[in-house]
Amino acid sequence: MASDGDFKPELRLHPLSWLFALTTFIRQFIVPVIAFIIFGARNDAEIWGALIIVPLLIGALWQQWLYRYGFGPRGLVINEGLFFRNVRQIEYPRIENIDVKRGLLHRLLGVAEVSIATSTGGKAEATIRVLSLEATQQLRDHVFTRSQPAESRETVDAEDEVLLNLPPAELIRFGLIDNRGMIVVAALFGFLYQAGAFELSRQAAEAWFGDSRLNHLAALGIAMQAGLALAGVITFILALRLLSVGFALVTLFDFTLTRHGQDLRVRHGLLTRLALTLRIRRIQSVHQTESLLHRLFGRVSLRVDLAGDSGSSDDGKQKSQVRTRWLAPICTPVQASALLAIALPDVDPTTQPDWQPLAAGARMRLFRHSLYFALIVTGAAAAALHLLPEAPFRPDARWIAIFLLGMALIGWWRAHVYVKHTRWALTPDAILFRYGWLTRRLIVTPRNRLQSVKLTASPFDRRHRMANVSIDTAGGGMNSSIYVRFLPRDIAQALAVRLYHSHIDVARRRATAG
Amino acid sequence: MQTENTDPAIISVWRWQCVIALLVVLFGVTVMLLPRSGSLWASAVIVVALTGLLLTWLWPPIYYRHLRYGVDATGIVIERGVLWRSHIALPRARIQHTDVSQGPLQRRYGVGTLKLYTAGSRYTMIELPGLAHSDAIALRDALLAESSASGV
Repeated sequence: MASDGDFKPELRLHPLSWLFALTTFIRQFIVPVIAFIIFGARNDAEIWGALIIVPLLIGALWQQWLYRYGFGPRGLVINEGLFFRNVRQIEYPRIENIDVKRGLLHRLLGVAEVSIATSTGGKAEATIRVLSLEATQQLRDHVFTRSQPAESRETVDAEDEVLLNLPPAELIRFGLIDNRGMIVVAALFGFLYQAGAFELSRQAAEAWFGDSRLNHLAALGIAMQAGLALAGVITFILALRLLSVGFALVTLFDFTLTRHGQDLRVRHGLLTRLALTLRIRRIQSVHQTESLLHRLFGRVSLRVDLAGDSGSSDDGKQKSQVRTRWLAPICTPVQASALLAIALPDVDPTTQPDWQPLAAGARMRLFRHSLYFALIVTGAAAAALHLLPEAPFRPDARWIAIFLLGMALIGWWRAHVYVKHTRWALTPDAILFRYGWLTRRLIVTPRNRLQSVKLTASPFDRRHRMANVSIDTAGGGMNSSIYVRFLPRDIAQALAVRLYHSHIDVARRRATAG
Repeated sequence: MQTENTDPAIISVWRWQCVIALLVVLFGVTVMLLPRSGSLWASAVIVVALTGLLLTWLWPPIYYRHLRYGVDATGIVIERGVLWRSHIALPRARIQHTDVSQGPLQRRYGVGTLKLYTAGSRYTMIELPGLAHSDAIALRDALLAESSASGV
């Protein structure tokens, strides 16, 4: 691979970059410092700890001073390093994503944090922290005009076409469905804990919530206590949903999906503005989710797997997903099919998938699994209850039979529901898989995105003449690409062969399409 | 697709590897049981050793019989596994880069392992052990010859 040789990058970071290198550090100490100033609370270790900031500040300034980036003839070149100098070169055609993140502080100062990713997977190849807005725009223009093949270059200047814009009403629906209230609670809890706010609030709480109030509560009687507990639980659930709505409103505020040439662009966020690029040729598969609440509101969610977003590294360790790549956090089914056609241009939207069921014996097999499980659990529980001297209750044969019958019914119903709602379909240009009963999921993967096809059969599969087919794409990782279990063996083999020879089907369709 | 077995010399490599593993296990078992004397414990060691030897003798040929590969115009198919069987099919256009690697034992028997890397997220590396080293090189060249540049 030819390199840019002696190319020397000359561009520098924004003069205030050192501030952002310190923000994670400052965040940890800001609360103790404020507590010190306002309440006079003293925690000497933490106050003195804040003095570490001085060497860190010097380090950050030095790092900023040495950091250079530039547009070489073939790729983006970044020079960095304090003691260990590092020159990184990322070729323009390999750059898949330029994500721009702007927190509250970034927006006050008119700067942005830019991360640049290739399809290698894992975390971003380069995070430039921070650039001015003009420099960010310049970087984007430079990279994206050079990375595209010459014939499609004129489309870059095309106007942005808005594909989806979510008004607050939709975001409220999304918040109600998505239920991320717990995330907010957990984050808040963690933050407060780290900041030492509990220490401050405990004293206040003790003073206010003293023994006398507890005595009042004890005098209420069991019915009132139960009522209070129930009210408390309901309040908690409602509060979680409310928090979730708030979280959705803040993080996804003004969610806008636009098409810009061959790229899809997503912008959202009230406090932290995110601008993400989803390159259409990098989309590996589209996932549609439809939970019970989705159906109640008549909505679905769409997200995409991008090449390189997640994946295992060579040593087999799974890297965590960077973030959910929403195509539409919430939209109507009609919008969803339109977006699907845009995100997967290689898939003919007019083809009606011919949904295929699992193997005929799959239901019985799943039921038998549950039955074995039930027998083991019942046996263990009965034995434990009979052997432990302090067991409150010793089940006799009747109880065991009733319990087993209940488990068997649940097992049968579960197997039935699983088999009934799991379907797959192969079209000339895509493979589709849908599963789930309460939360229905659909995965669409274009066949030209297939990396490899794997057909597996355990001894049990072979006894039942079944096999499993899993396909691998460049994005999605372990849990998110298509894995069809309990197929009839000959059908699974035929499917694997057709998927493997996908390029023939794809080429044939292109030829007939003209 | 026509599939074929790899080089039978790999059976010897696997047997040696089994012997080494067995020695390690035996060493561990012996150290663990050393403080206790008695014919019962001694016979436990002998049972472990005999089972290990039997497996060492029988398992590699069985595994070898189930390891097959085939190459066609589209790419390569690798079948493996005795009880849990898998067929993995990899179009040659998806091969990002390849390794042919040889350990000391494999060098002694003139076999190598062909490793095919894809841009995938589930199976990034697909291994075909037990090819004669020259065959591995030839297969690699054949697979790479027609693969196009774009792998994603």
